[in-house]
Amino acid sequence: MLNKLLKYDLKYMIKNMSVFYILSIFFAITTRILFNMNQSVMIKILSQISVGCMFAMIANTLINTIMRSWIRFSSSLYKDESYLTHTLPVSKNDLYNSKFIQTLIFFIVGFLIILLSLFIAYYSKDNWISLTNYIKTITTGLNMSTSFFITMAIIVIFLEIFNAIQCGFLGIILGHKKNNGKVGYSILFGFIIYLIAQLIILGLVFIYGLFDSTVMELFKTATINIDVNAFKVLAIVSSLLYLVIITIMSLICKNELNKGVNIE
Amino acid sequence: MISMKLLEINNLNKSFDNKQILKDINLNISSGKIIGLLGKNGAGKTTLIKLINDLLTPTSGEILVKGNKIGIESKKIISYLPERTYLNKEMKVSEIIEYFKDFYEDFDDKKAKELLNKLDLNINEHLTKMSKGMQEKVQLVLVMSRKAELYILDEPLGGVDPATRDYILDTILSNFNDNASVIISTHLISDIERILDEVIFIDKGEIVLQSDADKLRNKEKSSIDEIFRRMFKC
Repeated sequence: MLNKLLKYDLKYMIKNMSVFYILSIFFAITTRILFNMNQSVMIKILSQISVGCMFAMIANTLINTIMRSWIRFSSSLYKDESYLTHTLPVSKNDLYNSKFIQTLIFFIVGFLIILLSLFIAYYSKDNWISLTNYIKTITTGLNMSTSFFITMAIIVIFLEIFNAIQCGFLGIILGHKKNNGKVGYSILFGFIIYLIAQLIILGLVFIYGLFDSTVMELFKTATINIDVNAFKVLAIVSSLLYLVIITIMSLICKNELNKGVNIE
Repeated sequence: MISMKLLEINNLNKSFDNKQILKDINLNISSGKIIGLLGKNGAGKTTLIKLINDLLTPTSGEILVKGNKIGIESKKIISYLPERTYLNKEMKVSEIIEYFKDFYEDFDDKKAKELLNKLDLNINEHLTKMSKGMQEKVQLVLVMSRKAELYILDEPLGGVDPATRDYILDTILSNFNDNASVIISTHLISDIERILDEVIFIDKGEIVLQSDADKLRNKEKSSIDEIFRRMFKC
C-alpha cells in the first residue's frame, strides 16, 4: 500500500510545486538570453529583473518544498482529509513513510531544479573555471579534495534542512496530541524539538571533542587558525549524528502515530 | 439472515480533558441488520463512531470487528461516511473514484459511476466547484459503492431536504448486501424509522436501550420516534 499512498502524495506535490519549477527554469532561460543580447540600458534592466525573478523562484522552490511537506502532513493526518486517511486499510507506519519519502524525493528534485536553473543562467567556460578555481582555493586551504568538499557540503546542508523538516513533522504530531487542531502548539513544539536536536548534536560533538583535541579546539578558540582536519571530522561526525537524530525522530513519529490519533 | 458478531464493544470509555464522553459502552452487532444509533445532539453518537473508525483512541475498553482489533483488517470491511465533507477538494470526482479503487478491494467503480450518473453528477468536475450538498452525495455514492460488511453512516440525512432524504435512504437500502449491517446515526428518527431492524438509544455517553425495532414498537405500542421523544423529553 505504500506505493499507492506515495503515488497520491507525489501527485499532490507535483500539482503544487511544478509551477515553481517551471518558473524557475523559465527565468533562468530568460536570464541567459538577456545576458547574451546587446547590453543596452533597457536590456540590463530586464536582465536584472529576470535574475531577481529567477532567484525568487529558486527561494520559493526551497521554501515551498518545506512548507508544502508540513501542510500536506498536517492536512492529511489531522484535518478534514484525515477522515479518509485514517480509515484507509493501511498501517500508520506506511502513512508516515509515504510522507517521509515524498519529502525526500521533492527535496532532491528541488535541489536539482535549483542547480539546473543556475546552470542554464550562468554556465560558460569562464564561469566554470572561476568557480572551480574558487572551490580549489578553499579546498587547498582546508587540505581536502574538491570532490570530498562538495560531497560533504551537500550532505551536511541536505541533512540539516531535512532535520528541520523532520522536527516539523514531530512538532505537528506532538502539537496535535497536546491540543487538537491548534496550529500554535505544533509550531512551538517543532521549534523546541529543532532546538533540542541542535543542542544534542552540539553536545555529542563536544563529547567527541573530549577524545579528539582538534575538534575540541573549535570550542576553545575564537580564531579560525585551527587544524583544518577538525572541519573534516566535524563534517563527518555531524552528518552521522544528523542521520541518527533523523532516524530516532522517525521512530518517535511512528510510535506516536501507532498509539492512535484523536481527530476533532 | 446470518447471525454472527460483526462488531463487539466491551467496556468502552472515552474521556477528553477529564470529561467523560462515553461511559462503559458494551455493544454487540450482528450481520444483516440495519441499526439506528439514536440520540440527541452531543449524546456521544459521533464519538462512538469515530472510535470504531480509528479516528479517536479509546481511554479504556476494546472494540473488535469480526474478532480483530481496530486496524487494517477492520478498515477493509468497514465503509464509513463521516458527518462532514472530507475528500481532497483539489481532486476531480473521477480521481477520487480512482483513489477508492486503489485502496479498497471491494470498491465497485462501475457502480459508483452509474450512481453518480443517475444523480447528474459530472465525474470530470472538481469537488471545489460542487456545492456542499453535491459533495455529500458524492461521498454517499463512494461509501455505498463498496461491498463492505459494515456500513457506518454518521448523520447521512443532516442538512438535506426531505426529497433528498428519501433518495439517500433508497440509495442505502438498494446498495448493501443482505449479509452486511448498516449503522445509521441520526436524530431525525421519523425519517429512518421505516428501515430500521434494531435501535440503540444513546444518552449522555451511555447506551440506555438496545432493542429489536418491531419488538420495541409492539411493546410500547408507539413509533420509535414517539418512544424517543418520551424518553428524552427536555
